[in-house]
Amino acid sequence: MNGRSNPFRARPELIRPRLRVFAALLASVVAIANAAAVEVGERAPNFRLPQLGKEAKLGLADVRGKVVFVDFWASWCSPCREAMPQYEKLQASLPHTDFALLAVNVDETRSDAEEFLAAHPVGYAVLLDPAGDVPKSYGLIGMPTSYLIDRRGVVRWRGQGFKSADLDTLRREIDRLVKEPADAP
Amino acid sequence: MRLSPVARLVGLVAFCAALGACATTPVQPWERAHLARWDMRWDPDSVQTAMKQHAYFSKEGSSGAIGAAGGGCGCN
Repeated sequence: MNGRSNPFRARPELIRPRLRVFAALLASVVAIANAAAVEVGERAPNFRLPQLGKEAKLGLADVRGKVVFVDFWASWCSPCREAMPQYEKLQASLPHTDFALLAVNVDETRSDAEEFLAAHPVGYAVLLDPAGDVPKSYGLIGMPTSYLIDRRGVVRWRGQGFKSADLDTLRREIDRLVKEPADAP
Repeated sequence: MRLSPVARLVGLVAFCAALGACATTPVQPWERAHLARWDMRWDPDSVQTAMKQHAYFSKEGSSGAIGAAGGGCGCN
């Protein structure tokens, strides 16, 4: 080109390093997007929320040392509505005192949760998180999602959606986890 | 042709702005209360839909044109 370099000519020596930077940026964006989801084997993020029908707040730290089942639910979510009475039966049938069930409600309007619970009363603690801070910290990808947390605060089982077949698995896992010592490695 | 630092900066800003135009704020699973309302469904009332369809194909003589088997010829 008359001694002048063609500005549109591909110059691999310049493109390759830029591609590497672009790939690294893309990988970090994907990693950040996935990092939020709490996986089995990871420590459960702590939270402390107001309880429905009680004055005191309740959180994971208050039941530390117990096996904890955390269920995220909302009154507008059909599978959650199906699951709540089933979890009530499950808890009632468990003889363990070292087990706690915390149901985190994410309804924007408190009365929606109250209306549902008036029709389907439950004996376990219902916590209110209308802002959705706790599901955000757990990186929920669907409703309902539930976590079984061992005595040391580590997630040992995660259920996405509700399948009645999971109840047997859940019961077995709870039975197994309550036998583990709190200070197990 | 080497671009000046200012031109590069302008290019970078323009690129980032263009990326921003593609951005969306996905509705999180716990924020779907309004989307889960019955009147947000495609077919909120199946009885009413059936009645509307009946009125439609009666008027148009196009039985089968609304998703049912047949070609909409009104002959089945």
